[in-house]
Amino acid sequence: MTQTVQPSTMGHTLRRMVFFLLVILTTLSAMGLMVSVFQTDGLSPMELILLVLYAILFSWICIAFWTAFMGFFVILTGRDRWAISRQSGPAPDPAAPKPRTAILMPIYNEDSERVFAGLRAIHQSLVDTGQLGDFDFFVLSDTRDPEVWVEEELRWQDMVRALDGKGRIFYRNRPENTSRKSGNLEDFCTRWGGHYRYMIVLDADSIMKGETLVEMTRIMERHPRVALLQTPPVPINRESLFARILQFAGSLYGRMFTAGLNYWQLGESNYWGHNAIIRIQPFLDHCGLPKLPGREPFGGDILSHDFVEAALLRRAGWEVWLAYDLEGSYEEIPPTLIDYAKRDRRWCQGNLQHLRLALSGGFNALSRLHFLMGVMSYAASPLWLLFLLATGIDAYFQTRHEPVYFFGENWAPVWPVSFAVEMTTVLLVTLTMLFLPKGLALLLLLKDGRLRRAHGGMMKATLSVALETLFSVLTAPVLMLFQTKFVLAILLRRAVGWPPQQRGDHMTSLREAALTHGVQTLIGLVAGVLSYQYVPAFFWWFIPVLVGLVLAIPVSMLSSSIALGRQARELGLFLTPEETEPPVVLDYLAENLEEDEPVLPVLRERPASRFVQALTDPYVNALHLSLLPPREPPGKRRRHYLEGLIHQLEEEGPDSLSAAQKRDLISDPETLARLHALFWSRPPANAGMLP
Amino acid sequence: MDRNKVSVAEPYLPPAPPTPSSEFVFARLGAYWRALGVSDPDQIAALSEQALRRAAESPEAPGLDAVARALVAAGELLDDWLARAFDLPRSPRELAAARAALLSGAAPNWPAALFAAPGEADTVLDALRAARAEPAPAPSPGAMPAQRIELFGSLDSLRRLWRSEPRD
Repeated sequence: MTQTVQPSTMGHTLRRMVFFLLVILTTLSAMGLMVSVFQTDGLSPMELILLVLYAILFSWICIAFWTAFMGFFVILTGRDRWAISRQSGPAPDPAAPKPRTAILMPIYNEDSERVFAGLRAIHQSLVDTGQLGDFDFFVLSDTRDPEVWVEEELRWQDMVRALDGKGRIFYRNRPENTSRKSGNLEDFCTRWGGHYRYMIVLDADSIMKGETLVEMTRIMERHPRVALLQTPPVPINRESLFARILQFAGSLYGRMFTAGLNYWQLGESNYWGHNAIIRIQPFLDHCGLPKLPGREPFGGDILSHDFVEAALLRRAGWEVWLAYDLEGSYEEIPPTLIDYAKRDRRWCQGNLQHLRLALSGGFNALSRLHFLMGVMSYAASPLWLLFLLATGIDAYFQTRHEPVYFFGENWAPVWPVSFAVEMTTVLLVTLTMLFLPKGLALLLLLKDGRLRRAHGGMMKATLSVALETLFSVLTAPVLMLFQTKFVLAILLRRAVGWPPQQRGDHMTSLREAALTHGVQTLIGLVAGVLSYQYVPAFFWWFIPVLVGLVLAIPVSMLSSSIALGRQARELGLFLTPEETEPPVVLDYLAENLEEDEPVLPVLRERPASRFVQALTDPYVNALHLSLLPPREPPGKRRRHYLEGLIHQLEEEGPDSLSAAQKRDLISDPETLARLHALFWSRPPANAGMLP
Repeated sequence: MDRNKVSVAEPYLPPAPPTPSSEFVFARLGAYWRALGVSDPDQIAALSEQALRRAAESPEAPGLDAVARALVAAGELLDDWLARAFDLPRSPRELAAARAALLSGAAPNWPAALFAAPGEADTVLDALRAARAEPAPAPSPGAMPAQRIELFGSLDSLRRLWRSEPRD
């Protein structure tokens, strides 16, 4: 079922023309200045490299700058006739049955308490809208850790009991996590997708207001050509200094950037993987992901599936929109610089894979640009590093160059032409493009009193922006080295893995910081000494980068501090509207986490092992057994393998088994029932777990 | 883990007695029934005897000693009653779901219903019916064919070049 693409209106085309013209003209102007400096005595190979690198990096900065500027313009004027939320559409037929929507939460070895507290908050918020009946909830578990798996089952059953959610709140754990998250969603779509018109995809740490969920379905009903509607998730709830700075930046600058993205992307927007609503039928028809030929890093499973799914929907003629003005969509972010880098590492390979897709046939131009933007999110770092190295080397050779004042028959000296003005202009333009959006976001606060107060008032917000800028200058070189390392590791085919995220607040220890940032600090010191020794003039320009690297360990540790984060909050710094005026759904979440009073008695106990509890506790055992998917009886080899594990458990106890072996034991119904009987027939001598 | 140490250490589960005494079997069955929520000693004794009779009639199961077989039989007794009460098919998942509902605390007085005459335990049965887990809706399958993505030949050549490089 492919729809014809609605021809872009004149206004859409005009917007994109304006945007890309501005990007191209600004890039060309900066390049012109650079060329005027370099070409006086011919372009050396090093200068040519510098010029190419600068062209790529500056155009990347330009896209971000003009996006922010367009967003500033849209929010300042308050006029955006093509925002999807403001476009009128045909009224839905009142006699037609109301659409059913599935709210999906794919999870993988997450903190179950937080997952279900969040899901309950969303459920409570939907109850407040009076529209709960139109939604079902699915916890789609890909969890491999047996301890977490059993905990999830109990939390799910507890939530069903507490919220009277039988037949509305569902849970399943996939036997194999084929194709990771995209496979998880595909499994849902192919098994139960027929019951629903829409699915709202969440992340494990997503929170969404009930009224936002209801509004998303209304927009989809009004616009039958829209297959996917992405909301901008606002970062929330972390308390470390690092996370609070990022939350502040996300809150203050984020809305300007998303408004700007919508300004030029319109119905050819992108999908960010969660906090989005998707029309299921076109997703089924067009978003089955193939395996890319070849081996990793560019072949195999498509890792960052979201961009590809949006591009496939666009290829089939469906619209994909960013509802930038829809509030009530939240996510949590990594609490420390190291966790942030770990998340980057997971995302890096998927984004680099997009390089191949950007050059594939059939996708439209903006989809290709989205792919390239994903690539540049990570490739920019090694390119910046190359640029800095090339600049340093070039500066070194410049210092070795003796100026000649007398040429041929000239009796008067010929003074070298100074290009200080041009170079300073290039630098100033670059810095302006990088930092002006922060100033523009502050200006927008002047327009909106409520938002200004929510960010702590103009003075505090300005101070917060200044400190955030300083912090981003300090951390940018560290992230540059991290991302460069990830890109190189992926290109060299080192495994990236799929580690679960450590989402809760926690401090970075000196050991962890030293192990993670030690080499970066050393690089900073060596680069500092070398540049000071051989290119002193360059050294002073290089200082912001060097300081960031040399201070990486203390900055990483201090910024992970929850005490400093709280202190900054008491001082009114880095405040966000979600902190000063928390929406009800976040209050629900906080209450659920604080008052964790499960209905199921077994959840009130905190046993050393939920795995052992699944073997010993009759209720946990029966519940787990009832949730196992039907499967073929194991073959002879498999039976021998399980038999071996049973004997190992009998003799050496559960600690001798790996997580995968424990999972194998509790995945087989016969083995599970047998172990239950075994444990009750011979209670462990010292475990004290059975009467 | 040091395997040599493990082999001489006390095993995690004590070995099964070669011929367990009837006191031992009754003690284990009693503990099990209490864990399931049966507290009346007469009911425990009656249920244990039924379980033992059933275990004696059932064929030997590999890997299960006499006590474990008696415990399995105790579980089957419950399953029989649940299957009759709820008119369930003898599917292990259905029975496990019913057993989980029974043990979830939704109807704490279920042992009374077990010994009650037909029709006298409707309230308990209704509570258990409501407490039965429903992990997923009925299937409503759809096809999701893998899409074709045409990769450009030029990039494939580059990839082949990359792959031909020696790996360390």
